Amino acid sequence: MGDSILDMYLYETNTLLEQLDGILLTAEQADTFSEDSVNEIFRIMHTIKGSSAMMEFSSLMTVAHRIEDMFFIVREKGMDVVPEQTKPELFDMLFQAVDFFRGEIEKVENGDPLSQSIDNIVNKINSLIDKIQGNPAAPAEEAPAADESAPAAEAAAPAVSAVNQDYPYGIHAFFDEGSGMENLRAFMLINNVKDYCGDFICVPENVETDPSTSDIIADQGFFVWFRTADDRSSAIPGVKNAGSVREYQPVDAAKPAPAPAQEAPKAEAPAPAAPAPKAEAPAAKSAPAPAPAAGQQHAKESLISVNLSKLDQLLAVVSEIVITESMVTASPDLKGLRLDNFTKSARDLRKLTDDLQDVSMSLRMVPVSGTFQKMNRIVRDMSKKLGKKAKLTLIGEDTEVDKTIVDAIGDPIMHIVRNSMDHGLEEREEDRIAAGKDPVGEVILSARHTGSEVIIEIRDDGQGVDTQAVLNKAIRQGLAAPDHDYSQKEILNFLMMPGFSTNTEVTEYSGRGVGMDVVKKNVADVGGTVSISSEWGKGMTTTLKIPLTMAILDGMEVSVGDSMFTIPINSIQSSLKVTAQEVIHDPAQGEMVKIRDNFYPIIRAKELFCMDQGCDNIEDGILMWVESGEHSYCLFVDELLGEQQIVVKPLPSYINSFNVKNFGITGCSILGDGSISIILDVINVYTAAHNIY
Amino acid sequence: MAKTEELMFATEAQIDEYTDQIPEISTEKYLIFSSDGLMYGIKAELVKDINTDYTITYLPRVPNYVRGVINLRGQIVPIVDIRLRLGKLPQDSFCCVVVNVDGNEVGILVDMVEQMVDVPLDAILPVPTSSGQAMVSGMCTLPDGHTMLELDCELLLHD
Repeated sequence: MGDSILDMYLYETNTLLEQLDGILLTAEQADTFSEDSVNEIFRIMHTIKGSSAMMEFSSLMTVAHRIEDMFFIVREKGMDVVPEQTKPELFDMLFQAVDFFRGEIEKVENGDPLSQSIDNIVNKINSLIDKIQGNPAAPAEEAPAADESAPAAEAAAPAVSAVNQDYPYGIHAFFDEGSGMENLRAFMLINNVKDYCGDFICVPENVETDPSTSDIIADQGFFVWFRTADDRSSAIPGVKNAGSVREYQPVDAAKPAPAPAQEAPKAEAPAPAAPAPKAEAPAAKSAPAPAPAAGQQHAKESLISVNLSKLDQLLAVVSEIVITESMVTASPDLKGLRLDNFTKSARDLRKLTDDLQDVSMSLRMVPVSGTFQKMNRIVRDMSKKLGKKAKLTLIGEDTEVDKTIVDAIGDPIMHIVRNSMDHGLEEREEDRIAAGKDPVGEVILSARHTGSEVIIEIRDDGQGVDTQAVLNKAIRQGLAAPDHDYSQKEILNFLMMPGFSTNTEVTEYSGRGVGMDVVKKNVADVGGTVSISSEWGKGMTTTLKIPLTMAILDGMEVSVGDSMFTIPINSIQSSLKVTAQEVIHDPAQGEMVKIRDNFYPIIRAKELFCMDQGCDNIEDGILMWVESGEHSYCLFVDELLGEQQIVVKPLPSYINSFNVKNFGITGCSILGDGSISIILDVINVYTAAHNIY
Repeated sequence: MAKTEELMFATEAQIDEYTDQIPEISTEKYLIFSSDGLMYGIKAELVKDINTDYTITYLPRVPNYVRGVINLRGQIVPIVDIRLRLGKLPQDSFCCVVVNVDGNEVGILVDMVEQMVDVPLDAILPVPTSSGQAMVSGMCTLPDGHTMLELDCELLLHD
């Protein structure tokens, strides 16, 4: 089995599940399924069933199949068939099923064995089907189950006994798997058979008018029953010649056992039994089904999925073109020449390369809506679990950010939303009403662009952060000094320290001690920052500021000797010149400087990086005051060269094998003149310097 | 030359083979370069670039034989000085041979690139174990009488 097929499968199934989640959430709000969504769910389940069967993931296939069966009934009979009191159960079951699919898919992704025990969920679906059919009898539950586990031949058993006893001689035909339109193929088969013998009946009937029979035929085969064995043998050529027939076999009806004969029509699902009186109705009902499906298909074809590494490659080549272009047009060989045509062409080229760069960057951009939509589900689940009424409002879902960033911020956002639901919103509705708020809590998730950053805000209108409680906890944890005055901002920052969790009880959703610190780390990994603001009684806002793309960085170029280094702008506080008198020495040869009532260590880049050249005299160079995470210090360099947007290039893996990352060297970038600048990671520079001294 | 030798010692069956089809001796193109008076060879298919005009950017905190990185058409390529790697005294080498080792491109600083030769694969002999010459995976006598040491690029990068 090719990996590419598996990739396709995973991609497709994940997309379908996300779609399904969305449908379910809308449907639950409306407390019913629209005709479109029933069709859509049916289609999704059908696709999952089919592709899982192809990949031999039987657990997925079985569950999808049962849900498909259930929605088949709903589709046929309309949503009214579901009793009012069963609806919540139905929604819960469907959400559970989505989770089950997700879990299984995850196992597939990790190469773990799939779960074998799916009885629990299958039974749930079966009992729901019974309720929908208004048929609480136990045997009916057995029947579909048997139907399920036993493929073709055995599944035929109930059907065999179900036919008219006047037509005991049957042919059981199967069409090529995945040939599609089985009902029409069956109809052609009937026409063929008619040429040989006119007196027969078929199961299911109405194949021509009822497209929904095609699934039954695909699953259970198509039966043609004759009065005599001779009729049958004369008709066999007709069956044989019909298109796409994979296999056929003569079957004789067993002596009709009374019990199954009665149950069979129920087990057979409604198609063969129900359509007879209202053959028109289902046909009309299923007519809209192909239309939206076709529309979807069409929209899908205009999208292709591309391996991310190819896009990375493209972006790398494009950024090289941009640099090379500026090397050509600014070539020193051209100095003093007056080249009108060249200048004009060069200008055109510049414009085109700019466009090219924009387009290739936009390829990697995806809207955050996928990540945002997932939160709907979390809010729904938690509000049920915790008994808090809450709604989620999404703003700016179509904001686009780099794909790697979208992937990286999913978990942090989820964590914050959970926190808001769990700790943010008031425990009891009365508290909200007493505070003059809407009894239904609100979590607002918003995204917007500002220049080169995307800002994601998670805001809740809950009780806000009890700063005193946080401070007390921080003191107990040894994170804060008891006799120090902390500003509100500083206190809120304690929330993001490792091992800090205010809730004394560990709940199912949050408060496992791994909390905001992990969020902060994940966001920092993609070059972003987290900040919290809160007003007691009014709620809390968590803001994530994330660069639009990781491939481009705003950096400050500094030099040490001949070498150039890039410090990310967002970690720079300021640059300053100091005199030798301002430098404070400690006994361990460490140097410090005092900035605004605080002492900061000085790290000399020249010494840290063992360089031959560069300034030694503190007055000749310049101090870059940088801050990242909890660390704040001054990096001593020779000169400040200027701010520049750079394309980040990872270090060659050979260089990485020397662990230069631990010394704060995270990558390189190629400057406009072709020279290489080394990108520094402020945190690791500090740790490295700390370990050396 | 090697072909005639083989023909002379070939058995009858082998002669048939040779007469039936165009005689084919598997040879491999090698790039020969010198470093510190020794001739080294690298399979030519691994060589991506030969460059004499480059600026090495110093990279801190790497072993001294890694001289830094260069910008090769937009790619960051690390540079290994083979003299330092083999524990010899450094010298101002001016030629950089960029080779592909395991998908990673690495530049090797050498004294001079000499020539390209076709070397029959069976002419490459194993290195006597007693020989202290590291990073060499085979040796072979060239038509001009010099001895080529086949450089083991993997060993050059990883100990």
